Order: sequence, then C-alpha cells, then structure tokens
Amino acid sequence: MNTTIPVIETRRLVLRGPEPQDYPDFKATFTSYRARFMGGPLNAYEAWMLYSAEIGHWEIRGYGMWMIHDRQTDETYGMAGGWKPAKWPEAEIAWVIWPDKAGHGYALEATHAVRDYLYREGRWETAVSYIDPKNLDSIRLAERLGAVKDPEAATIDGNDAVYRHPAPAALDGTQLAHGIDMEINHYADPLFKPKGWALD
Amino acid sequence: MKEVLIPTIETDRLILRAPAPADVAPFAAFYASDAAKFVGGPLRDFQVWRYTAEVIGHWQLRGFGRWIVARKNTPGAIGLVGLHAPPDWPEPEVGWMLWDGNGKGYAAEAARAARDYAYETVGLNTLISSIAPENAASIRVAEGMGARLEPKNFEHPLFGTMAVWRHPAPEALS
Repeated sequence: MNTTIPVIETRRLVLRGPEPQDYPDFKATFTSYRARFMGGPLNAYEAWMLYSAEIGHWEIRGYGMWMIHDRQTDETYGMAGGWKPAKWPEAEIAWVIWPDKAGHGYALEATHAVRDYLYREGRWETAVSYIDPKNLDSIRLAERLGAVKDPEAATIDGNDAVYRHPAPAALDGTQLAHGIDMEINHYADPLFKPKGWALD
Repeated sequence: MKEVLIPTIETDRLILRAPAPADVAPFAAFYASDAAKFVGGPLRDFQVWRYTAEVIGHWQLRGFGRWIVARKNTPGAIGLVGLHAPPDWPEPEVGWMLWDGNGKGYAAEAARAARDYAYETVGLNTLISSIAPENAASIRVAEGMGARLEPKNFEHPLFGTMAVWRHPAPEALS
C-alpha cells in the first residue's frame, strides 16, 4: 500500500487501521440491527466487502476509518475516521461503536481525536457527518462534539441529516474544546458517575 | 499491520497491476452494461467505486487478491482478474472479468498468470472458479484452463446460483 495508516493514541484508546483479526468484531455489528442506520444489517459478504473497502478507501483517499482499541487490552470498541466514498457530497467524520461497548464515551474520545488529526494533519477546513434523523444516539454525539445541523448542505440521498462540525479555529483552545476534553476526562475517571444515561 | 504491496505481473501481452483511481471509470462502464449480468451487474458508479476499494483492501486482509489487467501496448484497464477469498467463501477462487478486447484469449492469459501466482507464490494447492451457468464465454475460459465442472453449485450471496469449476492441481500443471 502507498498509504501508511497512522496510529493515534488517546487517554484510553489506540486507533489503528483495520486489521484482519478485527474483522469478526466488525462483522458482528454490521450484520446486526445496530447497523440499521448505516445501510445494514448487511449479509456476511456485504460486511466483508465494506470492511475491505474501508482499507481501499485509505489507499484511494489517503485517509479513512480507524479501528478503536482499548490501550490496555487491545479489544476493539468500534471505528471512527474520515469517510468519503463515491457519491458523498463532502468528506465526512464517521463513527460506530459496537452495541455492547456504548455508554463509556469511547465514540466521543475517538471521534474527537480523529477530527483533530484530520484538521491538523489532513488540513481539512470543514467536515460534516451524515446521520439518519432517527439515529438519536449519533445526533447526540454530533452535538456533544459541537456539530450543528446544516440544512443548506447537500445530503447523500435525501434520507440523511447533515451535521456540520466546528471549523478548526473553533476548536483551538476554545471553551467548546475544553468542554469536550472535560467530558472525556470525566468518562476516563473511574470515580465519575454520570447523572444521566450515557448513550455513546 | 504488515502492509502488502500489490505485485505487478507481466505476461506475453498483458500487465496485471494494482487498481488505481482512474480504473474506476472503465470498470463502472462495464458494470453499467448488459455484459455484467453474469457477475452481479448492473451496478451504479458509486457501487463500483466501493468494489474497487474492496479489491485493494482484499490484498491487505488476505495477502493476495485481484489485479487490474491492461494491454502492454495500450493504456487503460480492460479487466479484473485474480484471486478472491472472503472469510465465508467455500474456497479460494480465481476469477476473471474482461470488458475490452474480448475474443483474443486475454482472460485466459491473465487467469493463468493469476493461477500460477496462487500456486507458486501464495502456496495454494487447489482453486475453484464460480461461474454463472449461462456464462458461455467464461465457461470456455475455464475449460481452456483445464478446469472441470463440480457436481455441487455455490450460492453466491449477491450473484445467485453459480456453477463451481475446479482447476487442475499444481502437480498436474508442472
């Protein structure tokens, strides 16, 4: 491959490119009801096609989706990264958390890190997330990341809402950035017990 | 992850090489046409983009895969040929699709190179090809390579019922 997939480390997570041994975890989620907002549930072959295509996406675009691992145990929690297959109006920041790993703030921590990477290293000036309007967990996460619904932006096929992420300058030492960092640190602190029910 | 470099192979008339973004357009034109009806077609452009990405990713995940085929004397992709083995597949397969230059033996020339690569470089001991029962042109290629029809069909998850052709083992070719 011409593209070397970088490794990103956060407080609790390490993000690496998709690897062969991670495929069963990916397949379990994408062939399940959890994938209903991401074009699924897929059959086994479609899941394989998508997983392989995520690696090819890195090669073609120079960026793509990372696999989210626990820093200590290396187990996988989901994926996050930049995603722009053919037909996408703009480059997207996307994420998915395995259903039994939700509620620990992993998606927030990983997506915050990949957005920072794509802004700094990828020189992205803006980013969107295409979200099914019924996918309330993901809409909530987009909002916690500071994204705002952009009714003017082109959608993929009219069935998705477009959330526009804050521009790089709006995340550089701002109150918004501090708030996200604080929420992530709260999740990472074992003494912290959220008052509400954490969704992602 | 250990990164796999997709090798380039030359035959008498052809080059087998890694897919490039410029190959999507001719590949998509093939999949928009009636000629793709035996291989899951028609597909839309954006689906073929993903298919191309899948071909690249397959190499990284399995260590082998499919190549874009081009003529040595003419630029531009004319086919997709090589090895295919998703985790739920019955066995590793050698497959071929040709959308330009049909009738000149290009598919067989590229498929033989892919089969040699599977046996000599990857170390596989046997190979199948799954072919739609009505795909006469592809069946001729399989027969020309010495493959034999197996009694049991394969239910392809997207393409439907496919006949299974078994290739001669490495010993039978040496």
